[in-house]
Amino acid sequence: MISSPLLYCIVYPALCGVLLLVVGNRIKWLREFLLVLASGINGYMAWALFQKSGESVAVALPWAGFGLDFTLRLQHFGGFILLAGAGFGVLISLYSAVFMREHRHANQFYAYFLFSLAQTNGVALADNLVMLLFFWESLLVTLFGMIAIGREDAWKTAVKALVLVGISDVCMMVGMALVGSLRGTLSLNVLTQQGVALDGLGGLAFILLVLGAVSKAGAIPFHTWIPDAAEDAPLPFMALVPAALEKLLGIYFLARICLDIFKLPSAPDNWACHFLMILGAVTILIAVMMALIQKDYKRLLAYHAISQVGYMILGIGTAVYAGIIGGIFHMLNHALYKSCLFLSGGSVERQAGTTDLKKLGGLKAQMPLTFICFAVAAASISGVPPFNGFYSKELVYDGALSRHVLYYVAAVLGSFLTAASFLKLGHAVYFGKLAEENKKVKEAPAAMLIPMIVIAGLCVLFGPWNELPLKTFIYPILEKAGVEYHTCHGPIPHQMMLVAGTLIALVLAALNHRYGVKRTGVGVGASEHIHHAPVLGWFYDKAEKRWFDPYEVGMKVLRGGSYALFYLDRFICWLSDGLAAGLTYLASAIIRWSHNGSCSRYVLWALAGAAILIWYVMKSA
Amino acid sequence: MAKLIVQNETILNLLIWTPVIGAFALPVVGKVSPRLRNLLALAGVLVSLVCSLALYRTVMAGTVVTVAMETGFGSRLFHADCLAVFMATVSSLVGAIIVFYSWGYISHYDNQNEYYFLVVLFLGSMMGLVFSANLILLYVFWEITALTSWRLIGFFREPQQVVRADKAFMMTFFGAVLMLLGFIMIFDKAGTFDMIQLRERFSSECIPNLAVVLILAGLLSKSATLPLQTWLPDAGVAPSPVTALLHAAVLVKIGVYVYARLLIVTFAIDPMWNVVVPAVAGASAILAAGAAMIETDLKRIIAFSTISQIGFIFLGLAIGRASEMAIAGGLLYILMHGFAKGGLFLCAGIVEQNTHTKDITRLGGLVRTMPVTAVSFLICAFSVMGIPPFGGFFSKYMVIAGAAKSSPLWITLIFVVGAFMTIIYLARVFVMVFMGESKGHEEREGSVVMVGSVALLALLSIVSGLYIGVSSDFAQAAVKQMLGGGQP
Repeated sequence: MISSPLLYCIVYPALCGVLLLVVGNRIKWLREFLLVLASGINGYMAWALFQKSGESVAVALPWAGFGLDFTLRLQHFGGFILLAGAGFGVLISLYSAVFMREHRHANQFYAYFLFSLAQTNGVALADNLVMLLFFWESLLVTLFGMIAIGREDAWKTAVKALVLVGISDVCMMVGMALVGSLRGTLSLNVLTQQGVALDGLGGLAFILLVLGAVSKAGAIPFHTWIPDAAEDAPLPFMALVPAALEKLLGIYFLARICLDIFKLPSAPDNWACHFLMILGAVTILIAVMMALIQKDYKRLLAYHAISQVGYMILGIGTAVYAGIIGGIFHMLNHALYKSCLFLSGGSVERQAGTTDLKKLGGLKAQMPLTFICFAVAAASISGVPPFNGFYSKELVYDGALSRHVLYYVAAVLGSFLTAASFLKLGHAVYFGKLAEENKKVKEAPAAMLIPMIVIAGLCVLFGPWNELPLKTFIYPILEKAGVEYHTCHGPIPHQMMLVAGTLIALVLAALNHRYGVKRTGVGVGASEHIHHAPVLGWFYDKAEKRWFDPYEVGMKVLRGGSYALFYLDRFICWLSDGLAAGLTYLASAIIRWSHNGSCSRYVLWALAGAAILIWYVMKSA
Repeated sequence: MAKLIVQNETILNLLIWTPVIGAFALPVVGKVSPRLRNLLALAGVLVSLVCSLALYRTVMAGTVVTVAMETGFGSRLFHADCLAVFMATVSSLVGAIIVFYSWGYISHYDNQNEYYFLVVLFLGSMMGLVFSANLILLYVFWEITALTSWRLIGFFREPQQVVRADKAFMMTFFGAVLMLLGFIMIFDKAGTFDMIQLRERFSSECIPNLAVVLILAGLLSKSATLPLQTWLPDAGVAPSPVTALLHAAVLVKIGVYVYARLLIVTFAIDPMWNVVVPAVAGASAILAAGAAMIETDLKRIIAFSTISQIGFIFLGLAIGRASEMAIAGGLLYILMHGFAKGGLFLCAGIVEQNTHTKDITRLGGLVRTMPVTAVSFLICAFSVMGIPPFGGFFSKYMVIAGAAKSSPLWITLIFVVGAFMTIIYLARVFVMVFMGESKGHEEREGSVVMVGSVALLALLSIVSGLYIGVSSDFAQAAVKQMLGGGQP
């Protein structure tokens, strides 16, 4: 019973990670070999398990009692996440083995890499909510480690990530506790059968759970560590964790919350749906506005990693067939193109030594393969037909439009800005004038190119052949959740009106880019006219100064509040040290004064005492 | 082959009396051979640990071991049930690691005979308190711990340290005297000090609220909870292993243990207290967390963190009979907090001894020169924050989930804010001490014994999380026995 393959695929990568920590940095090739081998075997196990995910495979072991059981259950959605996560693990491990080789903490990075894979597998397979949280929140430890071994000052960002993600995880914990106490069980399987109503405590639980899930995926308001991490952490971390694993896990759990626990599609006019859709739309717009003005390759990508989550949340929040399909499909597509984009950024960083857009330019000739991969992924994220991003976005648009036209407008506006910022990025890095110091830049090594080419190939494949991932992975999820067919089923794109809207947005983005480049003369200046536009300029200025960063603001508020508490504590301390001691001294001073050795005063006291005694006796008599 | 059969009563007697009486032999042995004295000190505590483990099976089977003798105030002296054995195991395990660490730490200072005598007596009296079967004996051991801690806090004999020791003693003594008054009130009503008889007497009738207030005064002062918490940060002037003992193994755990022993197991109390005590504990948790955020003295920060975490333990226990999970969470919290907080203080001891400062604004970058200490500190901090896979996760979850189920929502919210603040202030102290620029102190890793002890505590924090089943089973059995009608 214990020798279950479900358990293996959690324990095995974790043990390999421990082994890597033990091996240390002494034998260089061994670390890389172990990493790639372990990820490869993990990938194979995930593949084998996914084949079985139609059957119901489960493991139950006693754990901590009180409903905190160690139950693993392989179901279709989890198997899909397992496979996707392991697939990215394989590809990015190959890339890391080259990229991280010279890093002074390479073995730690590899170990955390494998721990993250184990934890991802754990989340995907967990059936008990607290067990899911156990793996989910323990990602925080590897997250902290992976960021902290980055640049010299990276620990500041590591702490920021720890605090923000830690807080959202505590919220999720309370949400789980509420669900557990409402329904008396923590098993996802049982909860799926029972469902939880969205009123009172159930509603609170919903909000808390959603906060935890979307924060893991990187949506506002707990997102601000991601752009900082993009600059400070080792690059493969960005491609693996925020771009791929966290998106997969966050959206996986969000979908389970919405479809299985709270059953949103059965009552789509619920406040909860609008809550999600507004959260999604706001995330799209705010993050993409920030992305537009960035002047660093990785930071710009990081803002897009936040913005794209908005589409997934919006899609799932619509609670209609097309939207949910689109949201989940977009999760997969995003993990593909975004990790490809980060990997291309890593290639540029490694070969050219910088990711500052002002110093880059004209790399198209030097790094042709990297450029092609970038171009494919950028076209995908911008929603250019016929790449994969186009199809998932069309589905999300369909869902959004069927709910309210404003959601649709926000989504299309987001697409326009996304396309504009990728035109700017591509122009600034790969076109334009080649800087003198970049003349000798060469193409990245094969081990880094292969993962990029594979992922870019999948971006193309999942475009016209979108039926392949949809049928294999995504339709069954909705069938299981009992969501009814909606208008869209059939070959996509299914609505010419939506396609026209997308195309108009893309053409406008191109025109906008042309205008911006003409104005400033360089690719990196393509967004300056928006950056310094009248009202927007003020907001951008304050945002750059971190006025809207909940971490910075929260820390200031907390610090003020803590001073108040600190002085309150000092006051209580004074009550015991100062006041109590002072009263004691005062009492002893009075007694000392009354016993001054003078005979007459003692007689006085004796008489006073006798008087009181007499008075007391008289009164009681 | 003849099997050696040791009576459970003998084990219990050995458990308590070996450290209590053995402590007096240590100064004498120390005159002859300091090395032997160190070994014997550790052995004394290990006897308690081994005996506790030996009793594990017996009590898990539901048997209660009793030691009886005719005295003026009840015939039963000691009894061992799941709760007592659980607490004794935690205390003696953490205590043994701390005594081991002392081999390295205290070897730099004078008066080592006195030190080992007091530490072992301190732990021994904790054992006596844990197993006490009547209120008078409980009070006697309670005051022995107060006396020994008084001397230990002022161990370095500087005037400031002596004043702080006096403060700690007077505040806890003040509470204890009030508690004794409470005991007398109860004796007035029931005519006995024996816990079993008291339990039968008060099974349906609540004890007077005034008695609860008086007893709480004792508990809150010992467990450093608002408004009697201020002695604990001040007690940071003690040698680091002593602060670790105070925080992780013995002193502050007494209050919460006796809460479980008296106000859950023995007496029925007004349900009002199930809201009042969590509210006080919540205020204490937030206040101390705020102070920890501002304070710059390393040991004071960790002390404030203890005050804050004790609030969580009180929350778990004070929800009371409404939620088994919350009580079990409170007990597990005692265990997990013992490992993690012991580790934090011992790490602080290494830092303090090697850099000669406790001011975190003058520390930094120690991760490069003290990697093992830094990693152990981080792991223990993660456990206190309640991040999996470390043990603290489960205890925090159980306590908060119990509160969410059985308390008003606002109490849960207070503790959620407390949990946020825990993450932030521990992250702050970690980065200020171990990250960033080095401030140019003479820095090196501590001795093997000291670093080994902190690494062991960090390891225990990991293992207790991964193998939560072992400790959780124990805690569940204890809760069942506490609430189920059986013998206490």
